[in-house]
Amino acid sequence: MRHPVLGDAKEREIIHFTYNGKPLEAYEGESVAAALIANGIRVFRHSSKKHEPRGVFCAIGHCTDCVMRVDGVENVKTCVTRVKEGMEVFGEYE
Amino acid sequence: MDDQTIICRCEEVTAGEIRRALEAGLTTPGEIRKYTRAGMGSCQGRTCQKLLVDMIRQYTKSDEIPEDTIKARAPMVKVTLGELADWKEED
Repeated sequence: MRHPVLGDAKEREIIHFTYNGKPLEAYEGESVAAALIANGIRVFRHSSKKHEPRGVFCAIGHCTDCVMRVDGVENVKTCVTRVKEGMEVFGEYE
Repeated sequence: MDDQTIICRCEEVTAGEIRRALEAGLTTPGEIRKYTRAGMGSCQGRTCQKLLVDMIRQYTKSDEIPEDTIKARAPMVKVTLGELADWKEED
């Protein structure tokens, strides 16, 4: 893949993680949120009052719309957390 | 902005709810925060505070930043109780 400014995309290692127990693939170095979107998961949770879908909104770790349970830790901002081999990610609502 | 527009995403407070608070005489972010919960959710006003201040300034026709505006203060990011318990002051 070639980007007009950044040039050719570097070959990156593929790693494995799970989302709600389902095995998924990701590129090493990308965020959990990016890996989920690349796997077609765009709804990260539902809002508590009106149960509206929420996904990545700010993507810089401010808005908390992307929080999930990552390796047993609640409320991790997935947009500013790198995905790691064997990581277990759980969405709050499923 | 119509009444359905969400101002505070965390607590799901709409522009209409803020407008009603303004019309009820609440004109500082702190008052509106306590009345509507705008800015009291998980992001602590990082997303809605500017919009809220803009709505107040429009309503009061003022250029001033209203007193009582939520300001960032320590701890700047989420800190768990475990992290605080493990924290040791360095000499």
